[in-house]
Amino acid sequence: MRLTATSLSKAYHGHVVVDIPNVSFGTHGLEGLIGPNGAGKSTLMGLLTRRIAPTSGEIALENEAGTHELNALQSHDVARIGLIKTNQRIQGFDGLSIRDNLALSATSSDREGLSSIFDRTRDAEDIEARVAALLEQFSFADPDGSAKSGGEKKLLDILRCLVAQPTMLLMDEPTAGLPDDITQSVMELVRKKVDAGEMSVVIVEHDLPMIWKYCDYVHFLSEGQMLFEGTPDDVRENRVVAEKYMGV
Amino acid sequence: MEYFIYSLSLLVIYVGLAQLMHVQFGLLGIPNFGVVGFWGAGMYLTGVFNVSLNMPILLSILAATAIVSLVAWALGRMILDRSGQAILCATLAFSSIIGVLVISEKWLTNGVRGLGTIRYPFASSDFAELGFAIFILSVVIAIFYVSIRLRDSRLGRVLLSIRDNEELAASLGKDTSGTKRLIFALTCGVMAFLGGLSAPLKQFLVPYLLSPTVTFTVWIALVLGGKGHSFGSIVGVVLTVGMFDILIETYLPLPPEYAATIQNLKLFFYGFLLVAVIMFRPAGFLGAGRMGAKPKHATSTTKQEAAS
Ligand SMILES: Nc1ncnc2c1ncn2[C@@H]1O[C@H](COP(=O)(O)OP(=O)(O)O)[C@@H](O)[C@H]1O
Ligand SMILES: [Mg+2]
Repeated sequence: MRLTATSLSKAYHGHVVVDIPNVSFGTHGLEGLIGPNGAGKSTLMGLLTRRIAPTSGEIALENEAGTHELNALQSHDVARIGLIKTNQRIQGFDGLSIRDNLALSATSSDREGLSSIFDRTRDAEDIEARVAALLEQFSFADPDGSAKSGGEKKLLDILRCLVAQPTMLLMDEPTAGLPDDITQSVMELVRKKVDAGEMSVVIVEHDLPMIWKYCDYVHFLSEGQMLFEGTPDDVRENRVVAEKYMGV
Repeated sequence: MEYFIYSLSLLVIYVGLAQLMHVQFGLLGIPNFGVVGFWGAGMYLTGVFNVSLNMPILLSILAATAIVSLVAWALGRMILDRSGQAILCATLAFSSIIGVLVISEKWLTNGVRGLGTIRYPFASSDFAELGFAIFILSVVIAIFYVSIRLRDSRLGRVLLSIRDNEELAASLGKDTSGTKRLIFALTCGVMAFLGGLSAPLKQFLVPYLLSPTVTFTVWIALVLGGKGHSFGSIVGVVLTVGMFDILIETYLPLPPEYAATIQNLKLFFYGFLLVAVIMFRPAGFLGAGRMGAKPKHATSTTKQEAAS
């Protein structure tokens, strides 16, 4: 799995917020994307998943099935080839129970056609099992009701993406607003899936100790430009990163 | 007796229309303010096929349904990915266009002079009228059956997700535009089918029948009953059409000079009910349905017990 962007740029009203000649994600396992507030990290992730239309540039995803040009695709097509993103801002389906949120995401669209109206059971056993396994690992106050607190909604957003079994997952500040123990379990689970070769992950995070601890590779974005890329150790010792980000 | 069957049939058709709006708006979030357009187009096309082309009535209804579905699909393609307000305006405009066409295209519709007579299927039988009423009732029961199954199905879950957060649903791989277009075309087609069924009831079609009041009545009924509730449409229609058009206007022994007053009083009463419901029961008389009405799940209490 390899996600590549070339000459990628995004400008709002003439103000350039992302401008990257060349970058690729997905070949290092668990990758971090760090940079100051307003650097363009969320915008880059939106561009990569086709939720934001680029001002210019090409995005391509290579996997076993071949190379997909993402520019021609809509947001839902991108998800269907296995590229999914968690959201920095809390989002959800308020009319669906937590269980249904997860089952919705786990179900592939070819099983959601008109004929599903007359199916006797709603979810196949494998879907129910996948959902139940996650709900066992992460507890909610009421899994058959809606997510109550901000923390529950944030966690649900992450689990909704994980249960879809993406081949590449982009996580935009996943642990902001989560209690420390849940952050730990989420990161352990993600790390486990990456190690098992189930998916590659790019994670945006301000909690640097966590980046150093979990990431295999780190990209440093500042003012829309990719200023440095390397192993956590390289990045930690890099002067540019230190100056622009860690305020040294 | 005859008039009673007629008004009851009409009431059932309104229930059907409101139930289709429950699907479009309550489940999927499409604010279709052109109900009378789809229903009326179905009714008039049925009339044209039946009267001008001498097609059998049931075949006319089916042809009208197919045409309106296609038109709705094309209209949906143009408007459904826009904002709620844009959809509202566009569908309202669509129904106005249908209203104008019905008056202006005299060669087809006979304009204000009217189009008729449209007869019941098997009109020679003694039970044609009653039989037809039962047929209408079965159609609306079928609409309920399908919409309730839909709500609990995997597809229904996708509809709710689109209603709640379309962008998020798309980011999880749901083809939100395609789903909206499909459901919109199908439900508008069924509105047209109900319009086709209304043609023999009205017998003689005049442009006046396509008044926006039809749309507003359906919407008021939907809001009164609860847009998210599977049976809200029944409650809403009984409270509006049932109470006024049938009970009071027809069966209350009021002197004829009150006829106009009653009409105005009706709008006043609808408005009053609407304000009261929005103030005191914003989710409608029956509430929001499944999620809202669900009893607290047992697991939460067991957890509390375990903690204590
Ligand atoms: N929809 C938008 N319209 C205008 N400016 C935007 C929009 N989205 C983001 N920006 C600007 O782009 C820059 C990068 O934002 P963002 O990608 O959210 O940064 P980060 O996630 O790194 O904190 C910021 O200066 C922000 O103000
Ligand atoms: Mg951000």
